[in-house]
Amino acid sequence: MTFPSFLRLPARRACQALAVACLPLFTGGWIYGPQSTFQTEGPVAKAQLDLFYVTLWVCTIIFIVVGSVLAYATLKFKANDNDPEREPPEQSHGNPLVEISLIGASIMALVIIAVPTVHGIWYSYDVPEAEKANAYEVNATGYQWWFKFEYPKEQIDGSGNLLTANELVIPAGRPVRVNLRTIDVIHSFWVPKLAGKVDMIPNRGNFLWLQADNPGYFWGQCAEYCGESHAVMRFRVIALSESDFNAWLANQKNPARKAGSLFAGAIDQPRIQFASYTYEKQKRNAPGWSEAFDQQPFAAWKKQQEITVDDNLELVAQGRKLFQEKTCVGCHTIRGHEGIGITGPDLTHVGARTTIAGGLLENTPQNLHRWLVEPNEVKPGNKMWFGGYMARNDAGQWTPTFTINDNEARALVAYLHSLK
Amino acid sequence: MDVTAKTDFIGKDSPAASERPAIFTRPTTKTGIVSWLTTVDHKRIGLLYGVSALIFFLVGGAEALLIRLQLAVPNNTLLSSHAYNEMFTMHATTMIFLAIMPLSAAFFNYIMPLQIGARDVAFPRLNGFAYWLFLAGAIILNVGWFIKSGVPDVGWFGYAPLTSKAFSNTFATDISTDLWVMGLQVLGVSSVIGSLNFIVTIINLRAPGMTMMRLPVFTWMTLFTAFMIVLSFPAITIALVGLMMDRQFGANFFEVSNGGLPILWQHLFWVFGHPEVYILILPAMGIISEVLPCFSRKPLFGYPIVVFSGAVIGTLGFGVWSHHMFTTGMGTMATAAFALATMAIAVPTGVKIFNWIGTIWGGQLQMRTPMMFALGFVWTFMIGGFSGVMHAAAPADAQQQDSYFVVAHFHYVLIGGSLFALLAGIHYWFPLIFGRKVSEFWGKLSFWIIFIGFNVTFFPMHFLGLNGMPRRTFTYDGNMGWNSANLIATIGAIILGIGIAVYFVTMVYTYYKGQRVGRDPWNARTLEWSIQNPPPEYNFAVIPTVHARDAFWYEKHHQAEIAEEQAAHAKAEEAHGGIHMPSQSWFPFLTAMAILTGSLFFADHNFLGAICAAVGIVAFAYLWAWEGPGGYHLHLDKDGNVIDPKKGGHSTH
Repeated sequence: MTFPSFLRLPARRACQALAVACLPLFTGGWIYGPQSTFQTEGPVAKAQLDLFYVTLWVCTIIFIVVGSVLAYATLKFKANDNDPEREPPEQSHGNPLVEISLIGASIMALVIIAVPTVHGIWYSYDVPEAEKANAYEVNATGYQWWFKFEYPKEQIDGSGNLLTANELVIPAGRPVRVNLRTIDVIHSFWVPKLAGKVDMIPNRGNFLWLQADNPGYFWGQCAEYCGESHAVMRFRVIALSESDFNAWLANQKNPARKAGSLFAGAIDQPRIQFASYTYEKQKRNAPGWSEAFDQQPFAAWKKQQEITVDDNLELVAQGRKLFQEKTCVGCHTIRGHEGIGITGPDLTHVGARTTIAGGLLENTPQNLHRWLVEPNEVKPGNKMWFGGYMARNDAGQWTPTFTINDNEARALVAYLHSLK
Repeated sequence: MDVTAKTDFIGKDSPAASERPAIFTRPTTKTGIVSWLTTVDHKRIGLLYGVSALIFFLVGGAEALLIRLQLAVPNNTLLSSHAYNEMFTMHATTMIFLAIMPLSAAFFNYIMPLQIGARDVAFPRLNGFAYWLFLAGAIILNVGWFIKSGVPDVGWFGYAPLTSKAFSNTFATDISTDLWVMGLQVLGVSSVIGSLNFIVTIINLRAPGMTMMRLPVFTWMTLFTAFMIVLSFPAITIALVGLMMDRQFGANFFEVSNGGLPILWQHLFWVFGHPEVYILILPAMGIISEVLPCFSRKPLFGYPIVVFSGAVIGTLGFGVWSHHMFTTGMGTMATAAFALATMAIAVPTGVKIFNWIGTIWGGQLQMRTPMMFALGFVWTFMIGGFSGVMHAAAPADAQQQDSYFVVAHFHYVLIGGSLFALLAGIHYWFPLIFGRKVSEFWGKLSFWIIFIGFNVTFFPMHFLGLNGMPRRTFTYDGNMGWNSANLIATIGAIILGIGIAVYFVTMVYTYYKGQRVGRDPWNARTLEWSIQNPPPEYNFAVIPTVHARDAFWYEKHHQAEIAEEQAAHAKAEEAHGGIHMPSQSWFPFLTAMAILTGSLFFADHNFLGAICAAVGIVAFAYLWAWEGPGGYHLHLDKDGNVIDPKKGGHSTH
């Protein structure tokens, strides 16, 4: 096949691109990834995958059989001439015996799928009876466009239940029952490697159960269209061994860390005058992940828990002050500090999370800076921003009031990252 | 049933034109724009449906290409998230309501009356009204492109409470969702009116001898589809009226803060939405069941079973809606019931595939373009059917729901299924409708480009879905393992777009310059091919008498007997006053335009304007009723030309 000369280069490029793109098909690249349903890490996802394989095999076998007959018939009965005068074939009208046997065979094939389906429906619905006593319970609530996680068994004196956002930490090797609620529209809770999705529907008490067999770091994503930033409503599940989990809980129950005194004048050992990163403006939708994180996400999460020693205390204090002045406190809780709002994610230990902006960006100073300076480029339609950060005016109406400049962002980054 | 005996009382009591008020003067022009605006001819209305549907098909295709270009690479910035959400909402709404359904309606209108030996549908003015209402609904849905609010961005399924005023709209004055609500209601009215017309036509206007079990399968599928539309659209209309009340008057059907139930929307929507899937596919199955026998030169294998399985699909189709809701926490028992019902519906669908294979088995397959599309349909529809069975396994579906696996599945059913069949149908009936035949070379070339492009686009999406890519997402990160499959899908979409372009350019060329053909170029089997092409206004010079299932095939093999019979019938019909034809009318068009105006005012919260338009609707409907059915008689000379009574001469066809 020859292309006209002006098409030759684009055509060759297209063929090359196609070849390169097809290559991963043969190495498993198309079915393995952070949200692959083929790489299961827990019994629920495993049961669902096993059922999928049953349907796949039954369908594939029928497809091969029926397809072969169809292909054979097409080739065998193809007329070599289109002569309308030619004697037409026998005008046969059907064969009841063939019909009945094929209907019977179809029903048999469906029974092979139906039996494990019914079994799977009951199994994946709720924690098995025998395991109920061992199950851990968490509440997940969908917001446009982030997830709130609540630990009803972990009480904090004077503050109700332990809350966190966008990163659900669970004990490994134990069934976890997740109660699913939503504050606004319908969302759906989906961690493909652990379990299929269940929707979070207003005025409806849904739940699911999942279990991570081993400690690990898992990707999750909202799976029901929920408005402008549905695509970037993501979250993580981190499964920890029993002891790590308890240690994590203990730290989370603590109020927010105080990196230094509140006022710059009282800082005894100012070390670094400016935050040690450079920030460049990013393109809309630009990815927010480093190679190192992608390869070892669980290790990155563990590292994120460590308290860094080089807090710039002056900047941290500035940031804490800005957090009040810029009215962030109205929507975000920072337990033990000034924040008391409940409409945005709890930020008490935000520095210890691997992600920000609803699981969208890696929690690096640059990314946090970007998120603070131009949130709408990162997450269009987010509730903080409407042509400017929203605040109430004197009449009590929400209006776009201010933006955050580079220097303010650096202070806020230093403050938020000190909250381990 | 003797149709000829009926013709003389219809319109007998219409007073002469001079005795009637001027407002009731019926237009008689046969050419020009007025003739199209006032037409009651089912063939012209069919053409209007077809051309509108194809224009909207190209619009929906352009939206699809933008979607694919945005997803070609990770973190792309071609479309903003808002624009992307508008695109997928409008792509689905356009393709379902403004492309595939009206394209099916075009065939119902044009072909079905010819297949049953009728001269028009039962209610010709109502038929025109259904078309103009369809156009009104299409305009309402698309008017957002030209106003500040933009087009709807709530998804074609419009799940509450995202559609409520609190969530869907960035601007308090945003009326895009109101336009969506009004547009779908108007389209629903149009579909129900059209369907009632088809049902009455098929039941009452069949030619003598055309018993139900001799109906061509396409007509059977028209009947089932019409019943499904009549029974399913009320559900979505109820939901839409509730939502309209919520948005316009602060009611609380779906308003969560007042105790409304979003899950109710899902049930109402899918009680409509799942039958809708079969509304889209049954006409396609009908077309395939015409094309395969014609090009195999054999009757359809197992005709009663194909018809009956269509009925079973139509019935079971109302009992499986909740398989769209497996992840909504319905509980074990409901999930199991809907899973098993969904598997059960695979049986009648599979039966059709077996029968199509049985049809070509032992035939003389003529590999013309319609046959290629029909065989392509069987292959891709099989794949779509199998992924459908996979969805029926509810626990596995918990991973697939709202992922790209679903996108792959229903595009295999709707493009590889419905669209391939409709493209086959256009090719197949083109010589009948326009008297010209499409070039086999360009037809087959377009088939192969479309077939390859389609599979390259949608097959990788199975992998994307199982690899965890959710639907309706305007962007994705490059580290998820989705890059190559997305890029290939986009390349496939461009190939598919080229194929569609080749197809339509070929059709337009053929319309102007194609090779003229005589009667019955395919050596076909059903009655529509027994008349000259393009068909004359009155369809059949003599209403045929049907003696067998493939009526025209029988006629061709019993020519002497048929000629004698037709001569006798022609005489009888002339004795009854000639060929009775319906009169044209302005009121279907005017009433529809009043509804269009009223809906636009209402969506814009302009109640005064809406009330004025409502007065117009009532007035036009009354005038429509008062003007009476009208009607006139035609007389033909020996060659089938209409004798003009005024001139005493001949007007030719």
